[in-house]
Amino acid sequence: MTVPNDCNQLGREVEIGQIEVELKRLWEADEASTNASLINFAVYSEDASALSQNSDTVREITSEHACRAILIGVDCEESEVSMRAWITAHCNLMNGNKSVCSEQIAFHLGGRASGRLSNTVFAHLNSDLPLVFWWQGELSERFNDRLYSLIQRLVIDSSEWQDPVAQFEKIVPAMQEYNLVVQDLSWTRTYHARLAIAALFDDPIALTAIPAIQKVRVVTSPEGRIAGLQLLAWFAAQCDWRKASELIASESVADSFHFEHSHGGSVEASVVTDSDSAAIGLIKIDAGDVQFTISRSKGNQVLHLNMEAQGHVSEQSAPADSEDVVGLVRDQLSRGGKNSLFRKIFPVFIDLINGTT
Amino acid sequence: MGDCWSRVIVEKPFGTDLATAKHLNKVVNNTFAEEDTYRIDHYLGKETAQNIMVLRFANAIFEPLWNNKYIEQVQITCAEHLGMEGGRGGYYDKAGALRDMVQNHLLQLLSLVAMEPPTDLSADGVRDEKVKVLRSLRQLDTPELIKENVVRAQYTAGHVDAKQVVGYREEDRVDPESMTEAYVALRVHIDTWRWSGVPFYVRMGKRLPKKATEISVHFKAPPNVLFNAIPGAAAGGNVLVIRIQPDEGISLRMVSKLPGTTLRMEPVKMDFHYATSFGKGSPEAYERLLLDAMAGDATLFARRDEVEEAWRFIDHIEKAWHESEKAPEMADFVAGSWGPKAADDLLEQDGNSWRRL
Repeated sequence: MTVPNDCNQLGREVEIGQIEVELKRLWEADEASTNASLINFAVYSEDASALSQNSDTVREITSEHACRAILIGVDCEESEVSMRAWITAHCNLMNGNKSVCSEQIAFHLGGRASGRLSNTVFAHLNSDLPLVFWWQGELSERFNDRLYSLIQRLVIDSSEWQDPVAQFEKIVPAMQEYNLVVQDLSWTRTYHARLAIAALFDDPIALTAIPAIQKVRVVTSPEGRIAGLQLLAWFAAQCDWRKASELIASESVADSFHFEHSHGGSVEASVVTDSDSAAIGLIKIDAGDVQFTISRSKGNQVLHLNMEAQGHVSEQSAPADSEDVVGLVRDQLSRGGKNSLFRKIFPVFIDLINGTT
Repeated sequence: MGDCWSRVIVEKPFGTDLATAKHLNKVVNNTFAEEDTYRIDHYLGKETAQNIMVLRFANAIFEPLWNNKYIEQVQITCAEHLGMEGGRGGYYDKAGALRDMVQNHLLQLLSLVAMEPPTDLSADGVRDEKVKVLRSLRQLDTPELIKENVVRAQYTAGHVDAKQVVGYREEDRVDPESMTEAYVALRVHIDTWRWSGVPFYVRMGKRLPKKATEISVHFKAPPNVLFNAIPGAAAGGNVLVIRIQPDEGISLRMVSKLPGTTLRMEPVKMDFHYATSFGKGSPEAYERLLLDAMAGDATLFARRDEVEEAWRFIDHIEKAWHESEKAPEMADFVAGSWGPKAADDLLEQDGNSWRRL
């Protein structure tokens, strides 16, 4: 049986059948702590060595989000079917003297026996509280209806995926049939960019320029490509554009699209990747007499907003999106809700991504 | 001799059907008067079971809502993760889940939840009201009604607490062709003004993912106006959960606004644990009941007519399963899962689903 690296960090190893009893003992042993939980927060990885690192991640997250954390590390390559569990608590001082703790159960699953994930692991959820499930890496065959029927909110990071088209195909039935709330960290990475675009269009001159938009160009890092496509899908959905047909991809512009305004005018749009770019490095909107640019240098935490109209230039700065994954997850947990905006743009995004290679 | 008394405590099973229960009652009452006969149901000795009446009748906030105007459904679940260890298959395969648990423990819990306020707290005052509930159960007296409202199942091989377990028919001392249910789920209606139209879902199963017995009272969702009309509003109504075992306690789920500038709502729960709130564990149910029997207080014991009314209801189902030519099917489920799909479908027909424990 493979032992996860640094399993001491995971706390005390316990028998699977004794987890709840041992957790109770843990709390009884420390009268100074308050056990708090607002969500069940599961972190799943098929890299079993990620358990220790994820424990550190959960420690950071619980400083803002009290939860019952369930870490799952799966090693499918193990020949022997096995399961081990550890318990611990992450405690944070509140108001200087009161310790508020979130309990954590870590599972290491070896071998390919199916059913243990939903049967054994999910038997330890805190009832009545929503389950937020952070799936790290590619969605495997374990991502099936038996699993996602138990989840209220799925956190993914599509920037890690090798084949986003195939991966999103697995998400669609979960969203349609089980009303699963999907929170893609790629989408979270566009949050401040979207705010910046909206801020530019607060200007009455900018607002009247929307029907005249002819061209949109988004430059992203290679990892930011999906974020760029989601940003474009959002912009198209908000402007009520209809995708007309795919343009023939050129060597330099892989993701090119042709939209139509509701009044019939056409818009050319592209998402270009550049290894020197920030995740979202440039958004350029051409509306004839009015030009908009939002730019961000790699490593910079600020967005530069620029609007030029009839000789008038307006410039602003705005905060940029975090590229720290833990920060993004924390943001997602703070937001809650049904992510209805993502659900709105999702069909447009799927249409875009299916039209690319 | 005025201070002398003799009492008999009878442990379940109180017969195997209505006829044998009547016979047993007659035999016992030939020697002991009914007021000296104590039919023990250890569920009634649990603090939370006793607390149902206190919760309902000593608090002003619940009783006004405790009816079909505000309650959507009630679920009573008794989940066992154990199977037939220790040679219990010999007894169990003759009894089954319905006789072993539903006829006594779960119908007792149901009657406590559904009863009218008693005129006083005397043994007969309370039991008079409980028996009225049992008399008001809508009888499932045809195979068709049983097929529509009852699901029976056996488990197949699977994993529980990370251990491989065999299927019910492969268990020690169980007939390999057994038609005894290790799982049962029922939709029950109580034909009273208070409960007209409110389904009570009762389920009991062996080899489920965890050990838990609880009652959940699901209140109707608020009208689809104001907060509930907002896209992405948190779904679902309030749920009051009475945990019988383990970790006896009560929780109430409600919807709360997430901190922040935008209006987002998430379910949260207020939780009360006996062990932590009162700083000591509850006495064992049998301790309390034996003490009551010695003190001559029969409030927490089943009276003759209660037992017989419960058997009257159960007998129809047993006869349909074992004597009818149109006997409903025996479903199956993988050990370690939450029961057969047919049980999920039973609730889905009403637009409901089993609460995740």
